[in-house]
Amino acid sequence: MTGTDNQSSFLGRISIRRNQVNAMDGSHEQEIEDLDVFQKQVSDRFADLLSAPDDSPADAFLSISWIRKLLDVFLSCEAESKGMLLMGCDAAQISKSPLDRLIPEILDRVVKALDICNAVANGLELVRHCQRLAEIAVLALEQKPFGEGPARRAKKALVSLMLAMHLDDKESSVQKTTERSWSFGRRGGNKDRPPFGHYKSLSWQVAKNWSAAKQIHAMTMNVVPPRGPEASGLPSLVFIMNLIMVFVMWVLITAIPCQERNGLTTHLPIPKNVNWTQSLAGLHDKIGDEWKKKEKKGMAGLLFELQKMEKLGQSLIEFTDSFQYPGEKDKAEEAAKQVAELAEVCRRMEEGLVPLQMLTREVFHRLVKSRNEILDLLDQTAKSSSPVV
Amino acid sequence: MELPENPNKDNNGYESAEKIILRWDSTASEEAREKMIFETDRHEADLYLHAVDEIQRSLSNASISNTTTAAAVAVDDQTKVNSTIQIAMARLEDEFRNILMTHSSALEADSLFDPSSSSFSASSHHELEDDDAVNNEDSSHGDLLQLQLQHCESSDSSTFRSTSSIRELDLMPGEAISDLQAIATRMISSGYLRECIQVYGSVRKSAIDSSFRKLGIEKLSIGDIQRLEWEALESKIRRWIRAAKVCIRILFSSEKKLCEQIFECVGTDIDDACFMETVKGPAIQLFNFAEAISISRRSPEKLFKILDLHDALMDLLPDIEAVFDSKSSESIRVQAAEILSRLAEAARGILSEFESAILREPSRVPVPGGTIHPLTRYVMNYISLISDYKQTLIELIMSKPSTGSRYSGDQSTPDMEFAELEGKTPLALHLIWIIVVLQFNLEGKSKHYRDASLAHLFIMNNVHYIVQKVKGSPELREMIGDDYLRKLTGKFRQAATSYQRATWVSVLYCLRDEGLHVSGSFSSGVSKSALRERFKTFNAMFEEVHRTQATWLIPDTQLREELRISISEKCIPAYRSFLGRFRSHIESGRHPENYIKYSVEDLETAMLDFFEGYPVSHQHLRRRSQ
Repeated sequence: MTGTDNQSSFLGRISIRRNQVNAMDGSHEQEIEDLDVFQKQVSDRFADLLSAPDDSPADAFLSISWIRKLLDVFLSCEAESKGMLLMGCDAAQISKSPLDRLIPEILDRVVKALDICNAVANGLELVRHCQRLAEIAVLALEQKPFGEGPARRAKKALVSLMLAMHLDDKESSVQKTTERSWSFGRRGGNKDRPPFGHYKSLSWQVAKNWSAAKQIHAMTMNVVPPRGPEASGLPSLVFIMNLIMVFVMWVLITAIPCQERNGLTTHLPIPKNVNWTQSLAGLHDKIGDEWKKKEKKGMAGLLFELQKMEKLGQSLIEFTDSFQYPGEKDKAEEAAKQVAELAEVCRRMEEGLVPLQMLTREVFHRLVKSRNEILDLLDQTAKSSSPVV
Repeated sequence: MELPENPNKDNNGYESAEKIILRWDSTASEEAREKMIFETDRHEADLYLHAVDEIQRSLSNASISNTTTAAAVAVDDQTKVNSTIQIAMARLEDEFRNILMTHSSALEADSLFDPSSSSFSASSHHELEDDDAVNNEDSSHGDLLQLQLQHCESSDSSTFRSTSSIRELDLMPGEAISDLQAIATRMISSGYLRECIQVYGSVRKSAIDSSFRKLGIEKLSIGDIQRLEWEALESKIRRWIRAAKVCIRILFSSEKKLCEQIFECVGTDIDDACFMETVKGPAIQLFNFAEAISISRRSPEKLFKILDLHDALMDLLPDIEAVFDSKSSESIRVQAAEILSRLAEAARGILSEFESAILREPSRVPVPGGTIHPLTRYVMNYISLISDYKQTLIELIMSKPSTGSRYSGDQSTPDMEFAELEGKTPLALHLIWIIVVLQFNLEGKSKHYRDASLAHLFIMNNVHYIVQKVKGSPELREMIGDDYLRKLTGKFRQAATSYQRATWVSVLYCLRDEGLHVSGSFSSGVSKSALRERFKTFNAMFEEVHRTQATWLIPDTQLREELRISISEKCIPAYRSFLGRFRSHIESGRHPENYIKYSVEDLETAMLDFFEGYPVSHQHLRRRSQ
């Protein structure tokens, strides 16, 4: 696993240097140097992510494979920073300010991150559902000879797709129409049945009052860069850990459909005038802008494949709507191109969704493990500092 | 539009089939929207299915005839047939959905609950209906020292029907199933498999959601669970265990059977896909709760519920493997195994945490009267419960306790010599270690008594209690072993002896012979003043000891008796003999009553006051002598 490989070499370097340096003053300088190295690494890794192309389907910005890269970066950073924290933390420091407050706060943030991982896993199921609907549309649209039958079939699937993508959209008029016209029973003279399924089954599997936006907001509380004499050493490290965790969770939520994202903040506490945060800030601004733009119109998520799917879907709905056998040649050619693109998107999803789900799960496991290690650390501290009877 | 000439084609057949299909096109006719074919009557349904078959036949014929007739005409016809097929498929999809929905309610109560069970009372029914109610069954004692000894929860499982093994219910009547089969086959052979799976999954998932609500399965986030009080969580865990058994063994297995029934003729991949489409989400939702519990912060009171959860999941594992046996359901099997191992880790961690907590337990206020410390009670009750969970814990606890080393010179941790404990399971070693640590802590606490005698009494009481508790539980006794039990017994006897020495040596010192006789002569040379001093001192000391130690407590009756007898056996004969030898000397002088205050009987009676835990007055003692 990339994380641990990096960790072992990184920590290996640190511990060798530690042994070379003198105890008292030396160790503090060592801490600062280690922190600098770590910050540079963070900066470099996020810079790589920032430079992803916007339109190449394979590795585009915010595509499935990009998000996988993001999570890999997170796992590496997490492993290193946690290693540094556990090595550098001793009982004396933990029981004093500011660590006595900061460490329990990390634990709390980790719990929120765990819930976000679960919500994202649930959201990925919804994305999968969209994939399935799109595949029906592709199948129909690729049918030869293409006629009104397949056109209606495709349209039905595409309309369901649009509805599914706007599941968490309270404001969506599409949603409203569907809800009004659908009822459970067949009686009562219901004229307009929605084309596909009924949306109770697409409800979120998360707790009723759970809100992705609120989780992120709560996670950002008290994430402030330490000042003054605390500005180097462990409090700084803790700040970086928090920042990265909040940032990654935030990106996940913008990209993948999650319950209740209304009012999601687009302002994370990323310090502006600091060298190593440039790439992070760049990513944050880019994604934040996209979010603001799309939020008004309502959308499923910034995931590249979903966005593509939506655009193509809308266009193909129009095509199928206006289609009359035998159809116009140039329109048909245009549609065929789009169908091919949609098929490609489906293929990317088919390839990448399951690995992404597994990676999310790995992040979950890692967070649990780290939380346990920090809890153990706290317990040991309590043990050594309480009076022996 | 005429179809091309084809010896196999029955034009009339095709046309009438097409008519039927078009008649039921719900986008075209009011009547078609109002009614459902499969609810109308069998004849209509059969007609429709035959019509679909006819159209499908003509499609395959039309594509064959591509090669023999003009391509354009063939394409036209094929397109038209495709259009008709699409209309038919859309209709069949609606019918399919409708039949499913008609028969997709939550599992009936009597499939889930056993009405003949005595524990199916209004209150437990209420508990299961009400998602949000915090269960008030359990008294809420947050105090670490009040242990809930409610480990006999197994009786609660009788509320649900016997869920000890997989039980597949028939979720739909046979007629509905054959209708669904008929529709599914045709949809699949027309290439509409995906739509079929989507519809199936969405309707059945909704039914499962309703069943979940009935079973009281909640959607709680990990954050929610961290914030809940443990007592509330305990009842949720209990409920979850019962519900999980029903879900895996009845609900999910029945869904699987339903898929197999409906998609019988079309191969296992498809019924697998439908099954996963239906249950994957709910299964994950179910397991998320157990996972959240396994992640929660460790504290001693959680051990037994976590073990319950672990055991329940362990028990369910083979059934989980059986129900989720396909490749696509691997993630569910994996998650269940992960949760199981986390629960085991949690149990181990809690035990370790418990041991540290005993060591660190810092209360310094000495227990009045030297009686049994609440810590002792708590710990002994706790490990009695642990011995009840012996079966599970023996499997889980695999490493020895981390003890201090005899050679480390570390005064803050006791050590334990493993060589003497050959052949014991790790669990037994942990239990012994717990007792070692408890005693170590108690030793420390005893030092806070200002009176050394009381300190010894305290140790005696507490170690005796430990011995009694061990003897009282066969499992515990078997694990602790008689060797160590003997050691403990010796310890409290030693404490009793130390107590006696500390208190009574000086009292009995007053009754010694030496120093009373004037040098040289034996028969008549007794120093009267020394004798008077002796009597006075003895009286004062005895009164003091009596007054003080009446308020001390030895809760165990037998132990109390034994100690009193032991003291009496030393005291009474000594006093009797002293009185016998020297009373005449006092009585021949002035105010003998100032010196000989008590008779032997007085002292014997006074003995009965000792260690009762009640204060007595000095007058009390005196009055008897009158």
